[in-house]
Amino acid sequence: MNGNPPPDQVLGLEDLHVTVHHGAATAVSGVTLSVHTGEIVGMVGESGSGKTLTCRAALGELPAGCAVSQGTISFETNNVTDLSRRGWERLHGTGIGAVFQDPSSYLNPSLSVGSQLTEVLRVKQRLPRREAHRKAIELFTVVGLRQPERVFHQVPAELSGGMLQRVMIAIAISCGPRLLIADEATTALDVTIQAEIIELLRDLRDQRGLAVLFVSHDLAVIRELCDRVVVFYAGEVVESGPVEEIIERPRHPYTQALLQVASVGDFSRRELRVIPGQPPQVGAHISGCRFAERCPAAIDACRAAAIDLVRLGPRHQSRCVRANDPELADVLETELAAR
Amino acid sequence: MTAPATVETGARPLLSVENVDVVLGRGWRANHVLSDVSLKIWPGEIVGLVGETGSGKTTLARTVVGLVRPRDGRVVYDGTETSRLRGRALRSERRQGHVQLVFQDPLRSLDPDLTVEQIVGEGLRIRGGLDGEEIKARVTDALGKVGLDATLLSRTPGQISGGQRQRVSIARALATDPGLLLCDEPVSALDASNRNYILRLLGDLRDSLNLPIVIISHDLSSLAGIADRVVVLYRGTIIEDGPVNQVFSAPRHPYTALLMASAPSVKHDRPLSIHQLRRTAADPDLRPDLLAASACVFAPRCPFAIDACAVQPALEPVPAAAGGRWSAACHRHEEWPALARERAAVAAPR
Amino acid sequence: MSKRTSIFGPRSVLRLPSAKIAVVILAAVIFLAIFGSALAPQNPLTINANALFQGPSAQHLLGTDYLGRDVLSRLMAGTRLSVFTAFEAVAIGFVLGGPLGIATVFLGKWFDFAANRVFDALMTLPSIFFAVAATAALGNGLVQAMLPIGILFSPYFFRITRAATLEFARAQYVEAAELLGASKLHVIRVHVVRKVLPTMAVTTAGLVAGALLTVSFLTFLGIGVQPPAPTWGGVLSSELDYLSNAPWAPLIPGALIAITVGACNALADALRDRTSAGTFAPVIDPVIKTHSTLQALEVANERQSAA
Repeated sequence: MNGNPPPDQVLGLEDLHVTVHHGAATAVSGVTLSVHTGEIVGMVGESGSGKTLTCRAALGELPAGCAVSQGTISFETNNVTDLSRRGWERLHGTGIGAVFQDPSSYLNPSLSVGSQLTEVLRVKQRLPRREAHRKAIELFTVVGLRQPERVFHQVPAELSGGMLQRVMIAIAISCGPRLLIADEATTALDVTIQAEIIELLRDLRDQRGLAVLFVSHDLAVIRELCDRVVVFYAGEVVESGPVEEIIERPRHPYTQALLQVASVGDFSRRELRVIPGQPPQVGAHISGCRFAERCPAAIDACRAAAIDLVRLGPRHQSRCVRANDPELADVLETELAAR
Repeated sequence: MTAPATVETGARPLLSVENVDVVLGRGWRANHVLSDVSLKIWPGEIVGLVGETGSGKTTLARTVVGLVRPRDGRVVYDGTETSRLRGRALRSERRQGHVQLVFQDPLRSLDPDLTVEQIVGEGLRIRGGLDGEEIKARVTDALGKVGLDATLLSRTPGQISGGQRQRVSIARALATDPGLLLCDEPVSALDASNRNYILRLLGDLRDSLNLPIVIISHDLSSLAGIADRVVVLYRGTIIEDGPVNQVFSAPRHPYTALLMASAPSVKHDRPLSIHQLRRTAADPDLRPDLLAASACVFAPRCPFAIDACAVQPALEPVPAAAGGRWSAACHRHEEWPALARERAAVAAPR
Repeated sequence: MSKRTSIFGPRSVLRLPSAKIAVVILAAVIFLAIFGSALAPQNPLTINANALFQGPSAQHLLGTDYLGRDVLSRLMAGTRLSVFTAFEAVAIGFVLGGPLGIATVFLGKWFDFAANRVFDALMTLPSIFFAVAATAALGNGLVQAMLPIGILFSPYFFRITRAATLEFARAQYVEAAELLGASKLHVIRVHVVRKVLPTMAVTTAGLVAGALLTVSFLTFLGIGVQPPAPTWGGVLSSELDYLSNAPWAPLIPGALIAITVGACNALADALRDRTSAGTFAPVIDPVIKTHSTLQALEVANERQSAA
C-alpha cells in the first residue's frame, strides 16, 4: 500500500513477518490485514498458527527472542513498526486496548477491581480521584456490571469469570482507544456468559465506533461476532473476507475443513469431523502450499512454488491455486466426508 | 458410529446416585454444592452432564468416585453402596477399577516425573498379580485403544502434546477394564478438530466395549454428536434429564433452552433467541420469595417465574416421552415455550 | 539424535560456575578428611621449642604455632574430626527429621499436631548448653558433643520436608493414584519421595555448612576437644591467644572454615536453582507454540548448549 491509508483505517499490517527463537524460525510470514473504524475483524486458526504472535506484534508486546523481521505496522496514519518502548506505552490504552484469555492473571488479587480501574484513569488521563471514581462507575455500567458501586469495592476473587472479563474490558476502553484487541477473550467463559460478552462487544462497536480485532480458534464465535474474518494457517493468511461470504462458500480447503469441524447450531446428531494430520512445525521449510500435505484437493501445482493470494472479490482473497476452480467445492465435500 | 446405543429398558442401572446432598467447607464458608441429586446410569450409554461454572458437575463426579463424601444420600455401583466404604474396604473396591475418572487437566493429573508406561500401568501395579511383561502388554493395548502407539511408552508428560496427554489420561482409566468411565471436561481445552477426535474416540469405546461414559461439559453442542442422554445441572440441582434428540429438539426447561440459544454456531437458524429466554428490563421486578433458598434455583434468572416458583419443583417425568426416561424440574414446562415465542427476539435498542 | 541433557536435574547443576568451584573445594576437603593425617608433611603433634611463631617457610608452609608445631599439618590432620563430626550431626538430623516430615502429612491431623509440637519444643533448646551437657555425661569428645547438635537439627529437616511434602501431597496425580486404590505407602514411594529429595538435598547442604560452623565454634570454646588433638576451631582459638606474636596466623584457619562453609552454601544454592522435580517448568514462552512440545524442548536444548 503506498501513500496514506484511508482515514478510517485504524490498524494496518502490511506483509508482516515475525521471527522467533532469536531469528531461528519464521512464525508469521507475509500477513496483510486491516481493521477500520466500527469494524470487527476476526482472526481464526489452530493454536500455533501465528494469530497470537500477530496480535502481540500489533501491540508491540512480542516476547523475548521474537522480532518483526519484515513488513510494517501502522496505527491510524502512523507507522509504528519501530516505535520505541515509550511510544508504545503512550499508545497502550489511549490508542489500542487489549483483553486476553484469563482476566484474573492480569489483575492484582489483593486490590479492589475499582481501584485498579481508577489507577489507570489517574495515571493515563491525570483524572482527580473523585472524577476517576465517577468515571469508573460509569464504565462498569457500560460494560454491563449490575450494582457497579458494589463491584467497585470487590477483589477479583469475589467475582466470576464473566464479571472479571467485563472489568478487563472496562479497563481496556477506559481511555478511549480506537482499537480493541481481544485475544481468546471468551474462550474460557461459560457459554451463556460468552454470549453476553459477544453482545457487549457488538454494543461497544455500535455506540462508540470501536474497531475490534478478535482472535479465536472457534469459527462459530467468529461467525456470531465478526464482520470480516482472516483465516490463519501455519503463519500465513490463507483466506480473508466478509464472514457471510466465507461461511456460505469457503474458497480455501482449510477454511472448508474448519467449517466442517465447527459447531453447527441445530444440535442434530451428526458426524463428528476431524482434520487429519498435524500443522507443520514452526520454521519447517515447505515449498509450495503449507496445507498441501493435509489437503484433499491438492494437485502438483500446489507443491511447485509459493502460493500468492488470489483476489476473489473487492475484499475477499484466498491463497489457493484452485480458488477459482468450480470443482473445488465438490472435491472437498466428497473427500472430507470420506475421512 | 452415530447410531444410538441400545439401552435395555427395565434392566438394573449400573450406577445409581440417590438423593445426594453435598456441602463443601464449614461454618460461614459452607457451600451447598449439590441438593438432592438423583441420577441413574445404564450400561452402554453416553450421558452428557452439562452445567456451567458453579453448577456442581465436577463435585458430582468426585462424589461418585468417593473423593467427596455426601452429607446425605448414597451412591450405589452394581449393587455396592460405595459411598459408605472407608479405608481398606474403599481401597479394595477401588483396586477393582470399576469406576474411573478422567480429570480435566492432564497437566495436573499426570505425574510429570513418570513415563507414560508407568502412568498408564499404575493401576495394574497397585492391583498386583501381573508381572512386568503382562503389564506392559496391557498398557500398550490401552494406548492402542486411544490411538497412541508404543513409541510413547518411555516419554514423560512434558514431552508429548496436549492432545496426546489427554489421551494418555484416558488410557490410564481404560487400563483396568472399568465398568463406568467419568470424564471431567475432556475436550474443553482442545481445538475443534482434536475435540471431535476425542469425542469420536469415546463414542467408539462405548460401541466396542459397551462402556457407559459420563462426559461432563459446559458445552452442549460438542455433546450433540455422540451423547445418548443429556443431564443438565444448574446450581446444584438437576433441572432436566432426557434422551438427547428429544431434549435438543424441544427442551422442557427454560435454562436448557438458554444454553442452546447461547451456543455460537456457524449457521443462524435457532428456534428461540437468547433475548426471548432472559429477563429484561421490561420484566417486573423479582419478588423476594423467588430469591429464597427454597425457591426454584433458576427463578432469579427466569422470565417465566410465577408464584408457584417460590418452591423448587421436583424432577418430574415429562409425559409422552420415550419409555418415561425424560424428566424436567419446572412448574411451567408445558407453557413457557409459547410464552417465549411471543417475546421480542432482538434486544431493544438502548 | 541430539544429546538431550535436561535443563533441570542433578547433572545440570554442574553447569553453574559457582557449583563447579564449590564441588572442587568440597572434594578437596573430603579428600583431606580421609587422607589428611597420612599426607601431612610433619607430625602435627611434634613440639619444637626452637621454632615458635615462625612465618611460612620451605619446611613449614604455613608457619608454626605457639608450640612450634607445623600449622599446615595440624590443619590437614584436623580436617577429619571437624568434617566427620559435622556430617554426624547432619546425618542424625536427617534420619530423625526427614522421614517423619514426610510421614506426618499422611498420618492424620492428630499425629501432625503432636509431631509439630515436639519439634517446636526442640527448636527452643539452646544447642551449646546441650553440647556441654553431653560431654559431661558421656565423656569429653567431639563425637559426643555433636550428638545433641544433631538432635537439635532435626526440626529443620522435619519442617522443610513437611512443607515440601504438603505441596506435592495435594497434587491431582496423587488423587488419581488414590482413585486407583493406592495405599499411602505407594503414594509416598512412587510420587512423593522423588520430588522431596531435591529439597532435602538443599537442606542437607545448608546444614552441613551450619554444622561445620558449630563444630568450629565448639572447638573454639574448647568443648569436646581433647588436646593436643588438632581441630580447625582449636587451631583458630589458640592462634587468637597469641595474636600479638603472629597477627597473620588466625587468618588461615579462619579462611579455611569460611571457604568450606561458603562452598557448602554455594552448592545448596545451585541445587535449589536447578532441581525442580514435580513441576512442568515452562521452557518456551507459551505464546510461541510449536506443534510438538518435543520439538520445543530440542530447540531450547540446542540453544542452551550453544549458549
